[in-house]
Amino acid sequence: MRLAFILSEIGSGLRRNLSMVVSVILVTFVSLTFVGAAGMLQMQINQMKGYWYDKVQVAIFLCGEGSTAPGCASGPVTPEQQQGLNALLESPAVAQYINDFQFESKDEAYKHFKDQFSNSPIVDSVTPDQLPASFRINMKDPEKYQIISETFSSQPGVETVIDQRQLLERLFSVMNGASLVAVGIAGVMIVCAILLIATTIRLSAFSRRRETGIMRLVGASKTVIQLPFILEGVIAAVIGAALASGTLWAVAQFFLGDYMSRQYPDTAFISSGQTLILAPALLVLGGSLAGISSLLTLRRYLRV
Amino acid sequence: MIRFENVTKVYDQKARPALDSVTLEIDRGEFAFLVGASGSGKSTFLRLVLKEDRATSGAVYVAGQNVAKISSWRVPRLRRGIGVVFQDFRLLPQKNVFANVAFAMQVIGKSRSVIRDTVPEVLKTVGLEGKEHRMPHELSGGEQQRVAIARAVVNRPGILLADEPTGNLDPTTSMGIMGVLDKINQNGTTVVMATHDDDIVNEMRKRVVELKNGVVIRDEARALYTSMIPVVGQSRRLKDASGREAPDGGLPGKGAEGEAQR
Repeated sequence: MRLAFILSEIGSGLRRNLSMVVSVILVTFVSLTFVGAAGMLQMQINQMKGYWYDKVQVAIFLCGEGSTAPGCASGPVTPEQQQGLNALLESPAVAQYINDFQFESKDEAYKHFKDQFSNSPIVDSVTPDQLPASFRINMKDPEKYQIISETFSSQPGVETVIDQRQLLERLFSVMNGASLVAVGIAGVMIVCAILLIATTIRLSAFSRRRETGIMRLVGASKTVIQLPFILEGVIAAVIGAALASGTLWAVAQFFLGDYMSRQYPDTAFISSGQTLILAPALLVLGGSLAGISSLLTLRRYLRV
Repeated sequence: MIRFENVTKVYDQKARPALDSVTLEIDRGEFAFLVGASGSGKSTFLRLVLKEDRATSGAVYVAGQNVAKISSWRVPRLRRGIGVVFQDFRLLPQKNVFANVAFAMQVIGKSRSVIRDTVPEVLKTVGLEGKEHRMPHELSGGEQQRVAIARAVVNRPGILLADEPTGNLDPTTSMGIMGVLDKINQNGTTVVMATHDDDIVNEMRKRVVELKNGVVIRDEARALYTSMIPVVGQSRRLKDASGREAPDGGLPGKGAEGEAQR
């Protein structure tokens, strides 16, 4: 009985200030979409890190025809120089930092290049001679890149030492920046949502002050009086959060899943299923924000 | 049932207290009028009984409990034992008569079947049988106040507080309301009624507590609205005199009303 009563009170409250409820839904929807977008960017970064960091290596490119680096003054790398580098990589001073290393000849480099850009016309204009031979080093700790770089960049026959991770880090820092912007926008929108929920609850409490006054006089408990108002805000916010979750899922499913992964087939995008992990978090966040802000509002505007 | 011990209530430090060291006891089943000019402290008295306000000093006991010692989450239980009626009825305009009375039971979690049984019974007590489905705006002022009384007593409180319940009503209608309150009192409910209506007080001949500037200046059983000099012999003679006056005044009218009620 009491539950049915509370539900009917909630229903009448939602109906009575429908426009405010709709605006609460929309504001929570937009703010939580930004929160979720930040979350998705972080997930995407983690996904790419996991995908790339295993494959990414420190590459020591060897001098080829026409290399202009100072270490290549004596022309292309000689077999002796290459032997010397190989010995240096196997020496205990260096070996303690690396898991393993491979030599990639010009022909192998050409093959990898062809695989990677198989659907691009650039393959036709590249010859094996244009690609440098390299040592591909798999580091034990990618942070120790500096040691390899210092040891090898001054060796004869070495054109340059590149930490491929750094190339990715630049991309990740752009994505991190984007997610920070998303979080910033989300923060502002959440403040809006909280204030709007507080105003809505206040209006709702004001428009029903007759009922609540009588409830108070006949000895209704605090729960029975306040719960309809709190649930009103929570329901609106949860609807907004559900819309936000749906939007994020749609973005992952149709934009990342269908469009982006066709454009960039060698990049691992997060799946739409992964975004569903965000949904419960968004629902709880939306619901608790609304609950807390309406509780605080009621404490001021609805004496019990 | 209600006991005030040296109760003082100060709203504003600079102004005089709303109630000044009031000591008063109203017994179970009693019917008492609170009279006095506006600002004499009648409403403050009622508010303190309901624990809407906290006494500045002194103790208020309701049904043997010191209300200052009731924790805030148990205040609803205190209020379930007290019915309240106001001058302005305070009905819910979008609910019909039945729903208005049922509301008081719904919000404290009474079951639908209990509500279905109790509400018609209470409406009969206040003389509103057959009007369950009327809306408040379709009722006269007197009928609206009867709905308000029904709502106040539907949970069978031990105490009924009435704050000028006849303030908006004409004398004949007022007497009808008094008949209802008297009937409720006779069923064992303690009734405390704050009023300005001298005719009613004179005709009911119940206990009168007169407040002035927050002080009890008169507390008499079977008394009149107007102040009597508190000399035993004289007050009896005055009472007798007013008793003799009554047949030309409202008493028969009250009797007729009362009959009509029942």
